[in-house]
Amino acid sequence: MNILSAAAGARAVPLPSWWGVALTLLLVTVAGVVIAREQLGLERDLVIAVVRAGVQLIAVGAVLRVLFEHTGVPGSLAWVAGMVVLGGRTAGRRARGLPHSVAVATAGLLAAVTATLGLLLVARVVRAEPRVVVPLGGMIVSASMAGTTIVLARIKDEVASARALIEARLALGLPGRAAFQPHLRLALRSALAPTIDQTKIVGLIVLPGAMTGLIIAGVDPLQAIRYQIIVMYMGLGAASIAGLVSARLMTRQLFDEAHRLRRLTDSG
Amino acid sequence: MTSAALFELAGVATTRGVGEAHVHPLSAVSATIPSGGITVVVGPSGAGKSTLLRLLNRMEEPTSGVVSLRGRALPMYDVLALRREVGLLLQVPTPFPGTVLDNLRTAAPHLSEADASGLLERVMLSPSMLSRDSLSLSGGEAQRMCLARALTLSPDVLLLDEPTSALDPFATAAVAEVVVRLVADGMSAVWVCHDQPLARRVGTHALVLYGGTVVEQGPAAQVFGSPADERARDFLGKLT
Repeated sequence: MNILSAAAGARAVPLPSWWGVALTLLLVTVAGVVIAREQLGLERDLVIAVVRAGVQLIAVGAVLRVLFEHTGVPGSLAWVAGMVVLGGRTAGRRARGLPHSVAVATAGLLAAVTATLGLLLVARVVRAEPRVVVPLGGMIVSASMAGTTIVLARIKDEVASARALIEARLALGLPGRAAFQPHLRLALRSALAPTIDQTKIVGLIVLPGAMTGLIIAGVDPLQAIRYQIIVMYMGLGAASIAGLVSARLMTRQLFDEAHRLRRLTDSG
Repeated sequence: MTSAALFELAGVATTRGVGEAHVHPLSAVSATIPSGGITVVVGPSGAGKSTLLRLLNRMEEPTSGVVSLRGRALPMYDVLALRREVGLLLQVPTPFPGTVLDNLRTAAPHLSEADASGLLERVMLSPSMLSRDSLSLSGGEAQRMCLARALTLSPDVLLLDEPTSALDPFATAAVAEVVVRLVADGMSAVWVCHDQPLARRVGTHALVLYGGTVVEQGPAAQVFGSPADERARDFLGKLT
C-alpha cells in the first residue's frame, strides 16, 4: 500500500473562503501599524511583499491546476526540471567567484532530484502523478539547494582563507583532490549539520509542513507522519547527495591540470 | 661546492590577472641556479622573488619561456613527482591540524615513529614532540616541523620562500643552521631571503631580482661584494 492511500479515506478538506483569506489582511495591517509606529521604514517593502506573495501564489495555483489536469507526469517532470535549473542558478550565483559555480550547483541538484525522486517513484513509495511529483520535487530541490548553497559558500571561504594550507599540501606532492580533502570535509559537515539537527527535533518544536497539511486535510496524525517521515528522510538524502556531488565537482574545478589551486575571480 | 646547472630559466615571463588589471611579476628572466649549495634570491618587495621560486616546482606557470631542471623542461616531469623531488617551505608556518606525527605522515603515511623521530632531530627538534598538537608549537618550532615534513619525501632540492620572515632571531638562526646542515649533506637549496645579512651568511650563489627581471647573478661573494649592475648596486648598497 502506498502512503497516499492514507489520505484516501480523509473527509472533505475544510477550505477557507476567499473572504476568510481577505480577512487575514487584517494581520498584515497589524504588521503595518507596528512598522509605522516604530518608524522602521519598511512600509513599502511590506506592501510589495504582500502583493507579490498573493499574485505569485495565485499564478502558481493556476499553473499547477493546468499542470495537474492537462500535462500528466511528463509535464510535471518538466516543471521539476525547471525548478532544478532555477535552483542551480540561485545556489551557484551565491558562490560567485568559484569556477563554473552555476553548472556545478545545477549538477548537484539534478543528481539529488534524480536519485531521491527517482527512488521514490521507481519503488512506488509515492504515486507517479503530477499532484505528487510537483510538490515532492519542489521539496527535494529546496533541500538540495540549501545543502549546495552552504557547501559552495564554505568551499569559497576555505579557498580564500586556507590557501596557504592547501598549497602546503600541494607542495608535498599531493594531488589537488587530496590536498583539498580536509577542507571538503569541513564544507560537507557545515552543510549537513543543520539538516541533521532539523531531523532530530522534527515534531518537537514545530509540526512540519507536509504533516500539517495532511492533518488539516483530515488525515489521522499517525498516518500523516508517514508522509512526513518520507519527506524528512528524502530531504536529508537530497541535501547529502547535492552537497557531495557539488563539492566533488567543485573540487575538480578548483585545480588545474598541474594541480595548482586556481585564483578566485569576481565572476562566476 | 656548486657545480652544473640545476635549474635554468630562459626568457621566462609570468602574468597575473586578466584584462587591464593584469601584471607581469616576471619579464624576460634568464638565470641559472647551480646544483649544490644555497642560492639566495634577493631583491626589493614586489620584484618577483616568490613568483620565481614558485616556478621551480610548478606552483606557478610561465606565460612564455622555459624553466628546466637538469636540462629537462619542467612540464616533461610528472608534476606530483617533481614536487616530491623539489620541496617547498612557505613564508608562514603551515602546521596542519593534528599532532606533529600526523603532520609528518601527510605525504608519507607509512612513516615509522623511529624515522619521524630522526627527522625531528635533523631539524633540531626533540623527538618527544611527536605527540604534541602541531597548532600549539611556537612559530620557530612550527617552521622547523614544516621543514621536517618536507624532508619526509627526501627531496633533492629545497625551495625556501622567506621562511624566517615571521620568526624571531633565535628561531631564524635555528632554521638557517638546519638548512646549512642539509646542504652540507648534499641537498641543493634556493632561498628567497629578505634578510640581507642572513643571505650573505648562508648564500653560496646569488640572484638579484629587480622590477621582475634578474639584474645580477653569480657566486654570492661576487654579487654581494662587487655587483656590476647599477640597480643591484643601488639595492644592495641601501641595505649594507
